[in-house]
Amino acid sequence: MVNTIKLVFSNFKYLILSTVFFSTMMIGLLILSEYIFLEPYVVSHIPSGTELGFVLILIISALSALVIPMNIFRINILKKSKQKMSGGIFGSVIGAAAGACSCGPIGFAVISTFGSVGATATTFLTNYEIPIRIIAIGILTITYFTTIRSLKIECKISQ
Amino acid sequence: MNKKNVIIGVIIVTIVAGLATAFSVPSSETINLDMERSHGTISTAMGSPLLGDPSAPITIVEFGDYQCHQCYNWFHNTKPAITEQYIDTGKANLVFVDLAFLGSDSPKAAQASYCAEDQGMYWEFHTMLYNSQESKINNGWANSERLKAFAFSLGMDLELFESCLDSGKYSKRVQFNIQQARDHGVRGTPGFFIVGPDSQEQLGGAQPFSVFKQVMDSMI
Repeated sequence: MVNTIKLVFSNFKYLILSTVFFSTMMIGLLILSEYIFLEPYVVSHIPSGTELGFVLILIISALSALVIPMNIFRINILKKSKQKMSGGIFGSVIGAAAGACSCGPIGFAVISTFGSVGATATTFLTNYEIPIRIIAIGILTITYFTTIRSLKIECKISQ
Repeated sequence: MNKKNVIIGVIIVTIVAGLATAFSVPSSETINLDMERSHGTISTAMGSPLLGDPSAPITIVEFGDYQCHQCYNWFHNTKPAITEQYIDTGKANLVFVDLAFLGSDSPKAAQASYCAEDQGMYWEFHTMLYNSQESKINNGWANSERLKAFAFSLGMDLELFESCLDSGKYSKRVQFNIQQARDHGVRGTPGFFIVGPDSQEQLGGAQPFSVFKQVMDSMI
């Protein structure tokens, strides 16, 4: 497993890609979930009772930053199918969507634009935010292990 | 001639008495003044009663939804310090304006708060709702039956409260408040306007106390 990770991230391009994914996703989700505010001052805080949500955002960001560059590596270097890549993106997207549609600007825009359908979707994503994020972590974890296995076989990496 | 003077005198006395009566009846004037209540550019006429000293130099206008988790976070994490350091000390007052958009129970809860106001218990009911909020939207914690149960537990006249809530008496009031939020570019809850003597500043989200302190201190 370590050798596989080393193989991918020894290429500086993928290390940069991973760092960009992690920081963009983490900061974006922390802003959407109101752990970071940009106006009128840049400030961050974790209100009591929301610690679990914060930790889940960190895990989703870290797993996405690990899984997506590894799959891009597979596609670019080994010219393999994009199937596993979709698992990583799907996990990242549902993990992000879970927290985005609450009482913040995105939830408000969705409800204003799509009416009762938007309200139903927002209600679902808000009510099941934590379980959805845990499912997203599950999808990303499965994608991570299947990608590692594929890379081991395709690149003939020894344990 | 004398008769003519008497008639003129009677007319003048009638007009003066009429004017005096019109200016001495406060009810319609008071209602009109209330309808004109505004803070900065925001009409708060249909919002909550003012919490704190009406002559405080700063007014915090909060746009909120009783089912919003971030409003709950703000109510429990930030508001206590603001109450202690600014509202209780007369430096600021607060008015709550509904942006009830999250689910079908949200407008009903907002209407119920004004039914509580009819019985002089707006802020008690407001506090009860934010203390009773549950993690799921529209799961029944703020349905009509629960709202009536909250009123009952606060010792309100239940018959009066029920007739107010069931009639939809304050439906338009809540809609007016939602429109105020839209007109002022509030795009989520909680949303705030800090209105000072010379300026107003908009804050979005359940920001921490330090941000409110910094903004308000710069206005005093």
